[in-house]
Amino acid sequence: MSKINHTAQQETVDSGPSTERQLIGDRGNHLLDRIEGETGANISACYQCERCTNACPASYYMDIKPHQVIRYVQLGWHENLMRSSTIWVCLSCEMCTTYCPNEVDVAGVINHLRNTAAHSSIPPKERHLAVFHQTFLEQLQRFGRVNELWLMNAFNRKPHILKEKIKNGTLKKEIRLGYALWRKGKLHFIPRRSKAIKEIKEVYRRKRGEVF
Amino acid sequence: MKLSFYPGCSLEGMANDYARSIIAVFKQLGIELIELEDWTCCGATAAHSLSEMMAVTLPARNLATAEKLGLDLVSPCANCFNRLRFSQVMIQKNIYDVPWQVSGDLQIHEMTRFLAEPDMIKLIKQRVTRPLSGLKVVCYYGCQMVRPPKITGFTDYENPQTLDLLARAVGAEVRDWSFKTTCCGASIGIGRKDIQESLTGRLLQKALQTGADAIVVSCPLCQSNLDIFQMDAGGSGIPVFYFTELMRLAFKKNDKAHKWFKVHFTDPVPLLKEKGFLT
Ligand code: SF4
Ligand code: SF4
Repeated sequence: MSKINHTAQQETVDSGPSTERQLIGDRGNHLLDRIEGETGANISACYQCERCTNACPASYYMDIKPHQVIRYVQLGWHENLMRSSTIWVCLSCEMCTTYCPNEVDVAGVINHLRNTAAHSSIPPKERHLAVFHQTFLEQLQRFGRVNELWLMNAFNRKPHILKEKIKNGTLKKEIRLGYALWRKGKLHFIPRRSKAIKEIKEVYRRKRGEVF
Repeated sequence: MKLSFYPGCSLEGMANDYARSIIAVFKQLGIELIELEDWTCCGATAAHSLSEMMAVTLPARNLATAEKLGLDLVSPCANCFNRLRFSQVMIQKNIYDVPWQVSGDLQIHEMTRFLAEPDMIKLIKQRVTRPLSGLKVVCYYGCQMVRPPKITGFTDYENPQTLDLLARAVGAEVRDWSFKTTCCGASIGIGRKDIQESLTGRLLQKALQTGADAIVVSCPLCQSNLDIFQMDAGGSGIPVFYFTELMRLAFKKNDKAHKWFKVHFTDPVPLLKEKGFLT
């Protein structure tokens, strides 16, 4: 494919994603090829019918709607996606993928983007959700299993989480709920461990050696 | 009959009531559950959200252990089932290498589907000594158990029937509704209470509109979302049962049943008394 010269238009074309057009350049095709290759999703087949978005229970809360995510990938607007709330708000409920008439794996694409964002230096738009996932994996590495009480405790001790929870009033609710759960015998102070923890730690070492 | 059993972290923690009812029900059905030795967490939502490689690798150790045991595996938690199957499919396709020997031909059963097979339903009907007639329920399946169909193997993913069949087998009256597989919000409430409340709230509202007395579920996370949401509703909420709790109730006249339900936020005891299942 021949190189398109962007520089001539750069002054007149605004880079805002929603209001102005952006050119489809080499980079755009590159992103599409890469994500299609890595997820096996046939993103090119999308004809923007919006069925995915209509089936999505969380689309109301997303800044880039599921069908737009697919379009953005086609256009190569990677950074907009990395900075979106969508990739964190998505519940992985798979409604979009299941109902797409072209079998585009929308949920798979969003999950792939979330994976990429997690390994980038771009601050996640939904910090609490991203930090929670991270905390979960840390707990898993520690015990081989996850104990709800230890998980919430570790999560609250992450930078700023507690402060923000006090501010928006969720901490009070959480303590009340925690107490109620404890009274019902649903929380356990002593975490159960798996004896296979050594093998699990090995998995984490492999992960750290992974190239992203 | 023997099966290997992967309980998952929830059943050791918040869903210990589910675990207790499963153990009791399988005992009464004469099926032996053998807990996988040293099983480890499947990674749940966190693993696949942050790294697909972890989402394939973490469940694989359990698959390897189960294959060595040589028995079919049954998983009571929708999320664990989904993650185990996902890992298995990815290994079959040779997309990731895992450090354990996994051939990928282990039979992984989702618990409700295993029990809703015709033979099992027959067996369950034989065990019922106190049919729950007059109890109107809606069955809620959630996402992970049925979607994506390519992973879960459900062909009726739009209108699944396994819980309906089981609830009917113990004598309950099943109401139809369109929200069987609509997401309850999963763990999004950790960071976005607003989304959680709108999704869970809508499910409860729709369930009440069908005129049901109770909701029947099989997923620990769905149960706690639906139940905890009603924490402040006191007695006026709609009870959320694990299907195995209903089976246990129908199998044996046991007035200790009051005690099982103490752990629920929405107390089902008044409802069960009114229907004459408890004294
Ligand atoms: S449902 Fe499929 S074809 Fe339609 S907009 Fe979404 S991804 Fe594109
Ligand atoms: S998987 Fe994500 S994007 Fe797809 S329908 Fe569910 S919440 Fe929406």
